[in-house]
Amino acid sequence: MGGPDTRGAWHADGELLAAYHDQRLDAAACWSVEAHLTSCADCRVQARALVDPARLARLRAALIDTVELPRAGMAERLLVRLGVADHTARLLAATPALRGSWLLAVAAVLAFAVLAAWTNPGPDANLVFLCVAPLLPLAGIAAAYGPGVDPTYEIGLAAPLPSFRLLLLRATAVLGTATLLAAAASLALPQLGPGAASWLLPSLGLAASSLALATTVEPLRAIGITAGAWMLAVVVTVMPPAPSSVLFAMAGQVAFAALALLAVAVLLVRRGHFESDRGFDTTPRFAARRLR
Amino acid sequence: MITPAPTVRVHDLVMTFGRTHALDGVSFDLMPGVTGLLGPNGAGKTTLLRVLATVSAPDSGSVHVLGLDPRHIDQRLDLRGRLGYMPQEPGFHARFTAFEFVDYVAILKELHQRRARHQEVRRVLELVGLGAVRGKQIKALSGGMRRRVALAQALLGDPDLLVLDEPTAGLDPEQRLRFRELVSRLGEGRTVLLSTHQTEDVVALAQQVLVLHLGKLRFAGTPLELAGLARGHVWQSQERDPGALAAWRTGTGQHRNIGNPPAGAELLEPTLEDGYLLLLGGDQVEEAAA
Repeated sequence: MGGPDTRGAWHADGELLAAYHDQRLDAAACWSVEAHLTSCADCRVQARALVDPARLARLRAALIDTVELPRAGMAERLLVRLGVADHTARLLAATPALRGSWLLAVAAVLAFAVLAAWTNPGPDANLVFLCVAPLLPLAGIAAAYGPGVDPTYEIGLAAPLPSFRLLLLRATAVLGTATLLAAAASLALPQLGPGAASWLLPSLGLAASSLALATTVEPLRAIGITAGAWMLAVVVTVMPPAPSSVLFAMAGQVAFAALALLAVAVLLVRRGHFESDRGFDTTPRFAARRLR
Repeated sequence: MITPAPTVRVHDLVMTFGRTHALDGVSFDLMPGVTGLLGPNGAGKTTLLRVLATVSAPDSGSVHVLGLDPRHIDQRLDLRGRLGYMPQEPGFHARFTAFEFVDYVAILKELHQRRARHQEVRRVLELVGLGAVRGKQIKALSGGMRRRVALAQALLGDPDLLVLDEPTAGLDPEQRLRFRELVSRLGEGRTVLLSTHQTEDVVALAQQVLVLHLGKLRFAGTPLELAGLARGHVWQSQERDPGALAAWRTGTGQHRNIGNPPAGAELLEPTLEDGYLLLLGGDQVEEAAA
Protein backbone atom coordinates (compact mmCIF):
# COMPACT_ATOMS: atom_id res chain seq x y z
CA MET A 1 0.00 0.00 0.00
CA GLY A 2 1.17 3.53 0.38
CA GLY A 3 -0.23 6.70 -1.10
CA PRO A 4 -0.62 9.99 0.64
CA ASP A 5 -2.05 9.98 4.10
CA THR A 6 -5.20 12.04 3.79
CA ARG A 7 -6.58 11.37 7.26
CA GLY A 8 -4.12 13.02 9.53
CA ALA A 9 -1.66 15.80 9.01
CA TRP A 10 0.79 14.33 11.53
CA HIS A 11 2.70 11.10 11.99
CA ALA A 12 3.47 9.41 15.25
CA ASP A 13 7.19 9.83 15.78
CA GLY A 14 9.48 7.23 17.29
CA GLU A 15 9.38 8.80 20.71
CA LEU A 16 5.57 8.83 20.82
CA LEU A 17 5.34 5.21 19.63
CA ALA A 18 7.93 4.09 22.17
CA ALA A 19 5.92 5.81 24.90
CA TYR A 20 2.79 4.10 23.61
CA HIS A 21 4.52 0.72 23.57
CA ASP A 22 5.83 1.18 27.11
CA GLN A 23 2.34 2.24 28.28
CA ARG A 24 3.57 5.65 29.40
CA LEU A 25 0.80 7.60 27.63
CA ASP A 26 -2.37 8.87 29.26
CA ALA A 27 -5.70 7.55 27.98
CA ALA A 28 -6.38 10.43 25.59
CA ALA A 29 -2.96 10.24 23.95
CA CYS A 30 -3.26 6.47 23.79
CA TRP A 31 -6.59 6.63 21.91
CA SER A 32 -5.22 9.22 19.57
CA VAL A 33 -2.22 7.03 18.70
CA GLU A 34 -4.46 4.01 18.18
CA ALA A 35 -6.88 5.96 15.99
CA HIS A 36 -3.95 7.13 13.92
CA LEU A 37 -2.41 3.66 13.66
CA THR A 38 -5.60 2.18 12.20
CA SER A 39 -5.44 4.64 9.32
CA CYS A 40 -1.71 5.07 8.73
CA ALA A 41 0.26 2.19 7.24
CA ASP A 42 3.63 3.93 7.65
CA CYS A 43 3.23 4.34 11.39
CA ARG A 44 1.97 0.77 11.73
CA VAL A 45 5.22 -0.43 10.17
CA GLN A 46 7.15 1.71 12.66
CA ALA A 47 5.09 0.48 15.59
CA ARG A 48 5.48 -3.15 14.55
CA ALA A 49 9.25 -2.86 14.85
CA LEU A 50 8.83 -2.21 18.58
CA VAL A 51 7.00 -5.46 19.26
CA ASP A 52 8.60 -8.88 19.57
CA PRO A 53 7.65 -10.79 16.37
CA ALA A 54 7.06 -14.01 18.30
CA ARG A 55 4.57 -12.21 20.51
CA LEU A 56 2.86 -10.74 17.44
CA ALA A 57 2.59 -14.22 15.88
CA ARG A 58 1.17 -15.59 19.11
CA LEU A 59 -1.39 -12.81 19.36
CA ARG A 60 -2.32 -13.21 15.73
CA ALA A 61 -2.82 -16.97 16.10
CA ALA A 62 -4.93 -16.43 19.21
CA LEU A 63 -6.99 -13.80 17.42
CA ILE A 64 -7.60 -16.00 14.39
CA ASP A 65 -8.47 -18.91 16.63
CA THR A 66 -11.03 -16.89 18.53
CA VAL A 67 -12.58 -15.16 15.55
CA GLU A 68 -12.67 -18.12 13.22
CA LEU A 69 -13.64 -20.84 15.63
CA PRO A 70 -17.14 -22.08 14.84
CA ARG A 71 -19.46 -21.69 17.81
CA ALA A 72 -19.67 -25.00 19.62
CA GLY A 73 -22.98 -26.76 20.14
CA MET A 74 -25.14 -26.07 23.18
CA ALA A 75 -24.26 -29.28 25.06
CA GLU A 76 -20.59 -28.64 24.49
CA ARG A 77 -20.73 -25.07 25.73
CA LEU A 78 -22.65 -26.20 28.80
CA LEU A 79 -20.02 -28.84 29.57
CA VAL A 80 -17.18 -26.35 29.19
CA ARG A 81 -19.02 -23.96 31.48
CA LEU A 82 -19.30 -26.76 34.03
CA GLY A 83 -15.53 -26.97 34.02
CA VAL A 84 -15.02 -29.90 31.64
CA ALA A 85 -11.88 -29.61 29.47
CA ASP A 86 -12.73 -28.56 25.93
CA HIS A 87 -11.42 -31.76 24.34
CA THR A 88 -13.38 -33.91 26.78
CA ALA A 89 -16.47 -31.82 26.10
CA ARG A 90 -16.10 -32.49 22.38
CA LEU A 91 -15.80 -36.23 22.98
CA LEU A 92 -18.92 -36.14 25.13
CA ALA A 93 -20.87 -33.93 22.74
CA ALA A 94 -20.65 -36.71 20.17
CA THR A 95 -22.35 -39.19 22.49
CA PRO A 96 -25.66 -40.32 20.98
CA ALA A 97 -27.03 -41.05 24.47
CA LEU A 98 -26.56 -37.41 25.51
CA ARG A 99 -28.60 -35.98 22.65
CA GLY A 100 -31.78 -34.07 23.34
CA SER A 101 -33.91 -36.76 21.73
CA TRP A 102 -32.42 -39.45 23.96
CA LEU A 103 -32.84 -37.39 27.12
CA LEU A 104 -36.45 -36.70 26.14
CA ALA A 105 -37.05 -40.43 25.75
CA VAL A 106 -35.54 -41.12 29.18
CA ALA A 107 -37.66 -38.36 30.69
CA ALA A 108 -40.78 -39.83 29.05
CA VAL A 109 -40.07 -43.31 30.44
CA LEU A 110 -39.56 -41.84 33.90
CA ALA A 111 -42.76 -39.81 33.60
CA PHE A 112 -44.73 -42.93 32.71
CA ALA A 113 -43.22 -44.81 35.63
CA VAL A 114 -44.24 -41.96 37.96
CA LEU A 115 -47.70 -41.98 36.40
CA ALA A 116 -47.94 -45.72 36.99
CA ALA A 117 -47.11 -45.13 40.64
CA TRP A 118 -49.92 -42.61 41.01
CA THR A 119 -52.50 -44.83 39.30
CA ASN A 120 -51.63 -47.77 41.52
CA PRO A 121 -51.98 -46.53 45.08
CA GLY A 122 -50.84 -48.93 47.73
CA PRO A 123 -47.73 -49.91 49.63
CA ASP A 124 -46.00 -51.04 46.42
CA ALA A 125 -46.94 -47.98 44.34
CA ASN A 126 -43.33 -47.06 43.59
CA LEU A 127 -42.36 -50.54 42.45
CA VAL A 128 -42.54 -50.00 38.67
CA PHE A 129 -40.43 -46.88 38.96
CA LEU A 130 -37.85 -48.62 41.13
CA CYS A 131 -37.56 -51.49 38.66
CA VAL A 132 -37.33 -49.30 35.55
CA ALA A 133 -34.99 -46.55 36.77
CA PRO A 134 -31.83 -48.75 37.03
CA LEU A 135 -32.31 -49.90 33.43
CA LEU A 136 -32.12 -46.42 31.93
CA PRO A 137 -28.38 -45.82 32.49
CA LEU A 138 -27.72 -49.26 31.02
CA ALA A 139 -29.65 -48.37 27.88
CA GLY A 140 -27.77 -45.08 27.77
CA ILE A 141 -24.38 -46.77 28.03
CA ALA A 142 -25.39 -49.14 25.24
CA ALA A 143 -26.13 -46.11 23.08
CA ALA A 144 -23.00 -44.22 24.14
CA TYR A 145 -20.23 -45.95 22.25
CA GLY A 146 -19.69 -48.90 19.95
CA PRO A 147 -20.04 -50.18 16.40
CA GLY A 148 -23.32 -49.09 14.85
CA VAL A 149 -23.82 -46.54 17.63
CA ASP A 150 -20.91 -44.17 17.15
CA PRO A 151 -20.54 -43.22 13.48
CA THR A 152 -16.82 -42.61 13.92
CA TYR A 153 -16.22 -45.90 15.71
CA GLU A 154 -14.08 -47.24 12.86
CA ILE A 155 -11.90 -44.13 12.69
CA GLY A 156 -11.62 -44.14 16.47
CA LEU A 157 -10.26 -47.68 16.50
CA ALA A 158 -7.30 -46.57 14.40
CA ALA A 159 -6.62 -43.59 16.70
CA PRO A 160 -4.35 -43.70 19.74
CA LEU A 161 -6.98 -42.72 22.33
CA PRO A 162 -7.86 -46.05 24.01
CA SER A 163 -11.44 -46.99 23.21
CA PHE A 164 -12.04 -48.11 26.78
CA ARG A 165 -11.25 -44.65 28.04
CA LEU A 166 -13.81 -43.24 25.62
CA LEU A 167 -16.38 -45.81 26.73
CA LEU A 168 -15.75 -45.02 30.42
CA LEU A 169 -15.88 -41.30 29.83
CA ARG A 170 -19.18 -41.46 28.02
CA ALA A 171 -20.65 -44.05 30.37
CA THR A 172 -19.89 -41.79 33.31
CA ALA A 173 -21.57 -38.83 31.63
CA VAL A 174 -24.58 -40.92 30.67
CA LEU A 175 -24.87 -42.43 34.15
CA GLY A 176 -24.65 -38.98 35.72
CA THR A 177 -27.33 -37.54 33.44
CA ALA A 178 -29.70 -40.49 33.85
CA THR A 179 -29.21 -40.42 37.62
CA LEU A 180 -30.05 -36.71 37.77
CA LEU A 181 -33.19 -37.22 35.69
CA ALA A 182 -34.28 -40.21 37.76
CA ALA A 183 -33.62 -38.31 40.98
CA ALA A 184 -35.74 -35.42 39.76
CA ALA A 185 -38.52 -37.80 38.71
CA SER A 186 -38.42 -39.67 42.02
CA LEU A 187 -39.38 -36.45 43.81
CA ALA A 188 -42.77 -36.76 42.10
CA LEU A 189 -43.40 -40.26 43.44
CA PRO A 190 -46.43 -40.74 45.70
CA GLN A 191 -44.42 -42.33 48.51
CA LEU A 192 -41.47 -40.14 49.31
CA GLY A 193 -38.84 -41.14 51.81
CA PRO A 194 -35.72 -43.31 51.71
CA GLY A 195 -37.68 -46.01 49.81
CA ALA A 196 -38.15 -43.65 46.87
CA ALA A 197 -34.37 -43.51 46.42
CA SER A 198 -33.79 -47.25 46.56
CA TRP A 199 -33.30 -47.35 42.76
CA LEU A 200 -30.03 -45.47 43.12
CA LEU A 201 -27.71 -48.18 44.44
CA PRO A 202 -29.03 -50.85 42.02
CA SER A 203 -28.59 -48.31 39.24
CA LEU A 204 -24.94 -47.64 40.15
CA GLY A 205 -24.27 -51.33 40.78
CA LEU A 206 -25.67 -52.41 37.42
CA ALA A 207 -23.88 -49.71 35.45
CA ALA A 208 -20.54 -50.49 37.09
CA SER A 209 -21.02 -54.24 36.60
CA SER A 210 -21.82 -53.82 32.91
CA LEU A 211 -18.59 -51.88 32.42
CA ALA A 212 -16.58 -54.40 34.44
CA LEU A 213 -18.11 -57.16 32.33
CA ALA A 214 -17.17 -55.22 29.19
CA THR A 215 -13.53 -56.00 29.92
CA THR A 216 -14.34 -59.66 29.17
CA VAL A 217 -17.17 -59.67 26.62
CA GLU A 218 -18.55 -57.37 23.94
CA PRO A 219 -19.85 -54.14 25.60
CA LEU A 220 -23.35 -54.60 24.17
CA ARG A 221 -23.44 -58.19 25.39
CA ALA A 222 -22.19 -57.10 28.81
CA ILE A 223 -25.04 -54.62 29.03
CA GLY A 224 -27.53 -57.23 27.83
CA ILE A 225 -26.36 -59.73 30.46
CA THR A 226 -26.56 -57.12 33.22
CA ALA A 227 -30.00 -55.90 32.18
CA GLY A 228 -31.22 -59.49 31.84
CA ALA A 229 -29.93 -60.39 35.29
CA TRP A 230 -31.71 -57.38 36.77
CA MET A 231 -35.01 -58.21 35.12
CA LEU A 232 -34.72 -61.80 36.23
CA ALA A 233 -34.01 -60.66 39.80
CA VAL A 234 -37.02 -58.36 39.66
CA VAL A 235 -39.34 -61.07 38.35
CA VAL A 236 -38.14 -63.64 40.88
CA THR A 237 -38.34 -61.34 43.91
CA VAL A 238 -41.54 -59.50 43.04
CA MET A 239 -43.50 -62.74 42.48
CA PRO A 240 -46.77 -62.81 44.40
CA PRO A 241 -47.61 -62.93 47.21
CA ALA A 242 -44.72 -60.55 47.93
CA PRO A 243 -45.80 -57.15 46.57
CA SER A 244 -42.45 -55.50 47.24
CA SER A 245 -39.02 -56.79 46.42
CA VAL A 246 -36.12 -57.60 48.68
CA LEU A 247 -33.99 -55.75 46.10
CA PHE A 248 -35.23 -52.46 47.51
CA ALA A 249 -35.04 -53.53 51.17
CA MET A 250 -31.96 -53.08 53.31
CA ALA A 251 -30.40 -56.43 52.34
CA GLY A 252 -30.74 -55.69 48.63
CA GLN A 253 -29.35 -52.20 49.01
CA VAL A 254 -26.29 -53.44 50.84
CA ALA A 255 -25.78 -56.09 48.19
CA PHE A 256 -25.90 -53.53 45.38
CA ALA A 257 -23.54 -51.18 47.17
CA ALA A 258 -21.12 -54.11 47.50
CA LEU A 259 -21.64 -55.02 43.84
CA ALA A 260 -20.86 -51.45 42.76
CA LEU A 261 -17.64 -51.40 44.80
CA LEU A 262 -16.61 -54.81 43.53
CA ALA A 263 -17.29 -53.82 39.93
CA VAL A 264 -15.24 -50.65 40.27
CA ALA A 265 -12.39 -52.71 41.72
CA VAL A 266 -12.60 -55.17 38.80
CA LEU A 267 -12.67 -52.24 36.41
CA LEU A 268 -9.52 -50.78 37.92
CA VAL A 269 -7.68 -54.09 37.85
CA ARG A 270 -8.78 -55.15 34.38
CA ARG A 271 -8.88 -51.79 32.61
CA GLY A 272 -6.00 -52.79 30.34
CA HIS A 273 -7.78 -55.86 29.05
CA PHE A 274 -10.37 -54.06 27.01
CA GLU A 275 -7.70 -52.60 24.78
CA SER A 276 -5.11 -55.37 24.68
CA ASP A 277 -7.38 -58.39 24.38
CA ARG A 278 -10.60 -57.15 22.96
CA GLY A 279 -10.18 -53.74 21.39
CA PHE A 280 -7.81 -55.20 18.88
CA ASP A 281 -9.53 -58.51 18.49
CA THR A 282 -13.17 -59.37 18.87
CA THR A 283 -14.79 -55.97 18.82
CA PRO A 284 -13.41 -54.98 15.44
CA ARG A 285 -14.15 -58.43 14.08
CA PHE A 286 -17.71 -57.85 15.13
CA ALA A 287 -17.63 -54.50 13.41
CA ALA A 288 -16.11 -56.03 10.30
CA ARG A 289 -18.89 -58.55 10.10
CA ARG A 290 -21.40 -55.77 10.19
CA LEU A 291 -19.63 -54.00 7.39
CA ARG A 292 -19.56 -56.97 5.07
CA MET B 1 21.48 -45.90 -5.37
CA ILE B 2 20.45 -47.10 -1.93
CA THR B 3 17.14 -48.93 -1.93
CA PRO B 4 15.03 -47.68 0.97
CA ALA B 5 13.94 -50.20 3.59
CA PRO B 6 10.32 -51.37 3.38
CA THR B 7 8.01 -49.36 5.65
CA VAL B 8 5.36 -52.07 5.77
CA ARG B 9 6.07 -55.80 5.98
CA VAL B 10 3.19 -58.22 5.81
CA HIS B 11 3.83 -61.91 6.25
CA ASP B 12 1.40 -64.79 5.68
CA LEU B 13 -1.69 -62.93 6.80
CA VAL B 14 -4.76 -65.10 7.38
CA MET B 15 -8.19 -63.80 8.34
CA THR B 16 -11.41 -65.76 8.24
CA PHE B 17 -15.01 -64.76 8.82
CA GLY B 18 -16.96 -67.92 9.44
CA ARG B 19 -16.03 -70.12 6.49
CA THR B 20 -14.93 -67.28 4.24
CA HIS B 21 -11.21 -66.74 3.89
CA ALA B 22 -11.07 -62.97 3.65
CA LEU B 23 -7.27 -63.13 3.61
CA ASP B 24 -5.51 -66.33 2.74
CA GLY B 25 -1.78 -66.20 3.27
CA VAL B 26 -1.03 -62.69 2.05
CA SER B 27 2.60 -61.50 2.13
CA PHE B 28 4.17 -58.36 0.70
CA ASP B 29 6.44 -55.40 1.48
CA LEU B 30 5.65 -51.76 0.86
CA MET B 31 8.12 -49.00 0.08
CA PRO B 32 7.60 -45.28 0.64
CA GLY B 33 5.44 -43.89 -2.15
CA VAL B 34 1.96 -44.66 -3.41
CA THR B 35 0.77 -48.25 -3.70
CA GLY B 36 -2.54 -49.08 -5.36
CA LEU B 37 -4.55 -52.04 -4.13
CA LEU B 38 -6.77 -53.48 -6.85
CA GLY B 39 -9.29 -56.27 -6.67
CA PRO B 40 -12.94 -57.03 -7.32
CA ASN B 41 -15.59 -56.62 -4.63
CA GLY B 42 -15.14 -59.17 -1.88
CA ALA B 43 -11.47 -59.68 -2.70
CA GLY B 44 -10.43 -58.83 0.87
CA LYS B 45 -9.16 -55.30 0.22
CA THR B 46 -11.04 -53.70 3.10
CA THR B 47 -10.05 -56.52 5.46
CA LEU B 48 -6.40 -56.04 4.55
CA LEU B 49 -6.56 -52.27 5.00
CA ARG B 50 -8.28 -52.67 8.36
CA VAL B 51 -5.49 -54.94 9.54
CA LEU B 52 -2.87 -52.41 8.43
CA ALA B 53 -4.78 -49.62 10.17
CA THR B 54 -4.66 -51.72 13.40
CA VAL B 55 -8.45 -51.79 13.44
CA SER B 56 -8.62 -55.56 13.38
CA ALA B 57 -6.16 -58.27 14.31
CA PRO B 58 -5.46 -61.10 11.87
CA ASP B 59 -6.08 -64.73 12.81
CA SER B 60 -2.46 -65.47 12.04
CA GLY B 61 0.51 -63.95 10.27
CA SER B 62 2.41 -60.82 11.11
CA VAL B 63 2.37 -57.16 10.23
CA HIS B 64 5.17 -54.71 10.84
CA VAL B 65 4.54 -51.07 10.08
CA LEU B 66 7.33 -48.53 10.45
CA GLY B 67 9.16 -51.19 12.42
CA LEU B 68 6.30 -51.51 14.92
CA ASP B 69 4.39 -54.69 15.68
CA PRO B 70 0.71 -53.97 16.45
CA ARG B 71 0.39 -57.18 18.46
CA HIS B 72 2.06 -55.34 21.35
CA ILE B 73 -0.18 -52.76 22.89
CA ASP B 74 2.40 -50.00 23.37
CA GLN B 75 3.73 -50.40 19.83
CA ARG B 76 0.17 -50.47 18.54
CA LEU B 77 -0.68 -47.19 20.24
CA ASP B 78 2.59 -45.72 18.95
CA LEU B 79 1.70 -46.82 15.46
CA ARG B 80 -1.80 -45.37 15.72
CA GLY B 81 -0.21 -42.01 16.39
CA ARG B 82 1.69 -42.27 13.12
CA LEU B 83 -0.96 -43.52 10.74
CA GLY B 84 -3.94 -41.96 9.04
CA TYR B 85 -6.92 -44.10 8.09
CA MET B 86 -9.83 -43.29 5.85
CA PRO B 87 -12.43 -46.07 6.05
CA GLN B 88 -14.52 -47.08 3.08
CA GLU B 89 -17.70 -45.75 4.62
CA PRO B 90 -16.51 -43.07 6.99
CA GLY B 91 -19.22 -42.16 9.46
CA PHE B 92 -19.80 -38.61 10.57
CA HIS B 93 -21.46 -36.92 13.44
CA ALA B 94 -23.74 -35.07 11.08
CA ARG B 95 -24.43 -32.19 13.46
CA PHE B 96 -20.78 -31.32 13.75
CA THR B 97 -19.34 -28.80 11.36
CA ALA B 98 -16.46 -29.94 9.17
CA PHE B 99 -14.11 -28.19 11.58
CA GLU B 100 -15.66 -29.73 14.68
CA PHE B 101 -15.60 -33.18 13.16
CA VAL B 102 -11.93 -33.05 12.18
CA ASP B 103 -11.20 -31.47 15.57
CA TYR B 104 -13.02 -34.41 17.18
CA VAL B 105 -10.79 -36.91 15.37
CA ALA B 106 -7.76 -34.80 16.33
CA ILE B 107 -8.78 -35.30 19.97
CA LEU B 108 -9.05 -39.05 19.35
CA LYS B 109 -5.52 -38.73 18.03
CA GLU B 110 -4.63 -37.17 21.37
CA LEU B 111 -3.70 -33.71 20.13
CA HIS B 112 -4.76 -32.10 23.36
CA GLN B 113 -3.06 -28.75 23.05
CA ARG B 114 -6.00 -26.65 22.00
CA ARG B 115 -4.47 -23.97 19.83
CA ALA B 116 -1.98 -26.24 18.12
CA ARG B 117 -4.79 -28.70 17.47
CA HIS B 118 -7.02 -26.05 15.91
CA GLN B 119 -4.15 -24.94 13.73
CA GLU B 120 -3.59 -28.51 12.56
CA VAL B 121 -7.30 -28.94 11.82
CA ARG B 122 -7.25 -25.77 9.73
CA ARG B 123 -4.15 -26.98 7.91
CA VAL B 124 -5.63 -30.32 6.83
CA LEU B 125 -8.95 -28.78 5.82
CA GLU B 126 -7.03 -26.24 3.75
CA LEU B 127 -5.01 -29.10 2.23
CA VAL B 128 -8.11 -30.87 0.90
CA GLY B 129 -9.55 -27.56 -0.32
CA LEU B 130 -12.29 -27.28 2.28
CA GLY B 131 -10.98 -24.22 4.10
CA ALA B 132 -13.93 -22.14 2.97
CA VAL B 133 -16.64 -24.51 4.21
CA ARG B 134 -15.12 -25.54 7.52
CA GLY B 135 -17.93 -23.83 9.43
CA LYS B 136 -20.64 -25.74 7.56
CA GLN B 137 -22.44 -28.66 9.14
CA ILE B 138 -21.44 -31.97 7.61
CA LYS B 139 -25.01 -32.81 6.74
CA ALA B 140 -25.06 -29.75 4.48
CA LEU B 141 -21.98 -30.87 2.50
CA SER B 142 -22.08 -32.77 -0.80
CA GLY B 143 -20.91 -36.38 -1.03
CA GLY B 144 -17.62 -35.38 -2.63
CA MET B 145 -16.96 -32.83 0.10
CA ARG B 146 -17.69 -35.38 2.80
CA ARG B 147 -15.12 -37.71 1.31
CA ARG B 148 -12.64 -34.87 1.44
CA VAL B 149 -13.52 -34.26 5.10
CA ALA B 150 -12.81 -37.95 5.67
CA LEU B 151 -9.50 -37.57 3.88
CA ALA B 152 -8.67 -34.48 5.92
CA GLN B 153 -9.00 -36.37 9.22
CA ALA B 154 -6.61 -39.03 7.89
CA LEU B 155 -3.99 -36.34 7.26
CA LEU B 156 -4.00 -35.06 10.85
CA GLY B 157 -0.60 -35.07 12.47
CA ASP B 158 1.21 -35.61 9.18
CA PRO B 159 1.20 -39.45 9.39
CA ASP B 160 3.97 -41.64 7.99
CA LEU B 161 1.49 -44.22 6.73
CA LEU B 162 -1.77 -43.38 5.00
CA VAL B 163 -4.35 -46.13 4.56
CA LEU B 164 -7.15 -45.02 2.24
CA ASP B 165 -10.07 -47.32 1.46
CA GLU B 166 -11.56 -46.37 -1.91
CA PRO B 167 -10.89 -42.68 -1.48
CA THR B 168 -11.95 -41.77 -5.03
CA ALA B 169 -15.36 -43.47 -4.96
CA GLY B 170 -18.06 -40.94 -5.72
CA LEU B 171 -15.73 -38.13 -6.78
CA ASP B 172 -16.38 -36.31 -10.05
CA PRO B 173 -13.54 -36.06 -12.59
CA GLU B 174 -12.33 -32.69 -11.37
CA GLN B 175 -12.37 -33.72 -7.72
CA ARG B 176 -10.56 -36.90 -8.71
CA LEU B 177 -7.87 -34.87 -10.41
CA ARG B 178 -7.43 -32.70 -7.34
CA PHE B 179 -7.31 -35.80 -5.22
CA ARG B 180 -4.55 -37.24 -7.40
CA GLU B 181 -2.51 -34.09 -7.08
CA LEU B 182 -2.85 -34.21 -3.35
CA VAL B 183 -2.05 -37.91 -2.96
CA SER B 184 0.94 -37.76 -5.29
CA ARG B 185 2.30 -34.92 -3.17
CA LEU B 186 1.62 -36.90 0.02
CA GLY B 187 3.34 -39.92 -1.50
CA GLU B 188 6.66 -38.09 -1.49
CA GLY B 189 8.42 -39.53 1.52
CA ARG B 190 5.35 -41.22 3.00
CA THR B 191 3.82 -44.61 2.46
CA VAL B 192 0.34 -44.40 0.97
CA LEU B 193 -1.75 -47.51 0.41
CA LEU B 194 -5.05 -46.93 -1.34
CA SER B 195 -7.63 -49.39 -2.57
CA THR B 196 -9.62 -48.57 -5.65
CA HIS B 197 -11.74 -49.99 -8.43
CA GLN B 198 -10.34 -47.45 -10.84
CA THR B 199 -7.35 -48.73 -12.76
CA GLU B 200 -6.79 -45.15 -13.98
CA ASP B 201 -6.13 -44.05 -10.41
CA VAL B 202 -3.39 -46.63 -10.17
CA VAL B 203 -1.89 -45.70 -13.54
CA ALA B 204 -1.90 -42.05 -12.57
CA LEU B 205 -0.57 -42.36 -9.03
CA ALA B 206 0.98 -45.61 -7.98
CA GLN B 207 4.59 -46.71 -8.05
CA GLN B 208 3.54 -50.16 -6.87
CA VAL B 209 0.42 -52.26 -7.43
CA LEU B 210 -1.06 -55.11 -5.43
CA VAL B 211 -3.87 -57.24 -6.85
CA LEU B 212 -5.98 -59.16 -4.39
CA HIS B 213 -8.52 -61.76 -5.46
CA LEU B 214 -10.51 -64.09 -3.19
CA GLY B 215 -8.19 -63.36 -0.30
CA LYS B 216 -5.02 -64.21 -2.18
CA LEU B 217 -2.38 -61.82 -3.43
CA ARG B 218 -2.30 -62.35 -7.18
CA PHE B 219 0.21 -59.71 -8.14
CA ALA B 220 2.74 -57.38 -6.60
CA GLY B 221 4.88 -55.15 -8.80
CA THR B 222 4.93 -51.95 -10.78
CA PRO B 223 2.02 -50.72 -12.93
CA LEU B 224 4.20 -51.34 -16.00
CA GLU B 225 4.75 -54.94 -14.98
CA LEU B 226 1.02 -55.47 -14.48
CA ALA B 227 0.32 -54.10 -17.94
CA GLY B 228 3.16 -56.27 -19.26
CA LEU B 229 1.27 -59.40 -18.18
CA ALA B 230 -1.09 -58.78 -21.08
CA ARG B 231 1.66 -58.35 -23.65
CA GLY B 232 0.77 -60.54 -26.63
CA HIS B 233 -2.74 -61.07 -25.30
CA VAL B 234 -4.46 -57.97 -26.58
CA TRP B 235 -5.42 -57.69 -30.22
CA GLN B 236 -7.62 -55.76 -32.53
CA SER B 237 -10.20 -57.16 -34.95
CA GLN B 238 -13.16 -56.09 -37.06
CA GLU B 239 -15.58 -58.40 -35.26
CA ARG B 240 -15.77 -59.57 -31.67
CA ASP B 241 -13.42 -62.53 -31.40
CA PRO B 242 -15.38 -65.47 -29.96
CA GLY B 243 -12.19 -66.90 -28.48
CA ALA B 244 -11.49 -63.83 -26.37
CA LEU B 245 -11.95 -63.69 -22.61
CA ALA B 246 -13.29 -60.19 -23.06
CA ALA B 247 -13.89 -58.03 -26.09
CA TRP B 248 -15.47 -54.69 -26.66
CA ARG B 249 -15.98 -52.28 -29.50
CA THR B 250 -13.88 -49.17 -29.07
CA GLY B 251 -14.50 -45.67 -30.35
CA THR B 252 -12.74 -46.44 -33.60
CA GLY B 253 -15.28 -49.13 -34.48
CA GLN B 254 -12.66 -51.84 -34.04
CA HIS B 255 -12.92 -54.53 -31.38
CA ARG B 256 -10.37 -54.83 -28.63
CA ASN B 257 -9.93 -58.44 -27.56
CA ILE B 258 -8.19 -59.86 -24.50
CA GLY B 259 -7.23 -63.52 -24.21
CA ASN B 260 -5.26 -65.88 -26.37
CA PRO B 261 -5.02 -64.30 -29.81
CA PRO B 262 -5.46 -66.33 -33.00
CA ALA B 263 -2.45 -66.63 -35.32
CA GLY B 264 -1.66 -63.48 -37.22
CA ALA B 265 -3.78 -61.24 -35.00
CA GLU B 266 -3.02 -57.53 -34.95
CA LEU B 267 -1.50 -57.17 -31.46
CA LEU B 268 -1.99 -54.00 -29.40
CA GLU B 269 0.05 -52.37 -26.68
CA PRO B 270 -1.49 -53.58 -23.38
CA THR B 271 -2.72 -51.25 -20.65
CA LEU B 272 -2.74 -51.85 -16.90
CA GLU B 273 -6.43 -52.62 -17.15
CA ASP B 274 -5.73 -55.35 -19.73
CA GLY B 275 -3.17 -56.91 -17.42
CA TYR B 276 -5.58 -56.72 -14.49
CA LEU B 277 -8.45 -58.31 -16.44
CA LEU B 278 -6.24 -61.05 -17.80
CA LEU B 279 -4.86 -61.77 -14.35
CA LEU B 280 -8.28 -62.26 -12.84
CA GLY B 281 -9.37 -64.21 -15.90
CA GLY B 282 -12.59 -65.98 -16.79
CA ASP B 283 -15.74 -64.97 -14.98
CA GLN B 284 -14.13 -61.90 -13.55
CA VAL B 285 -13.37 -60.62 -17.01
CA GLU B 286 -16.93 -61.27 -18.17
CA GLU B 287 -18.17 -59.29 -15.20
CA ALA B 288 -15.86 -56.38 -15.81
CA ALA B 289 -16.62 -56.23 -19.51
CA ALA B 290 -20.38 -56.52 -19.06
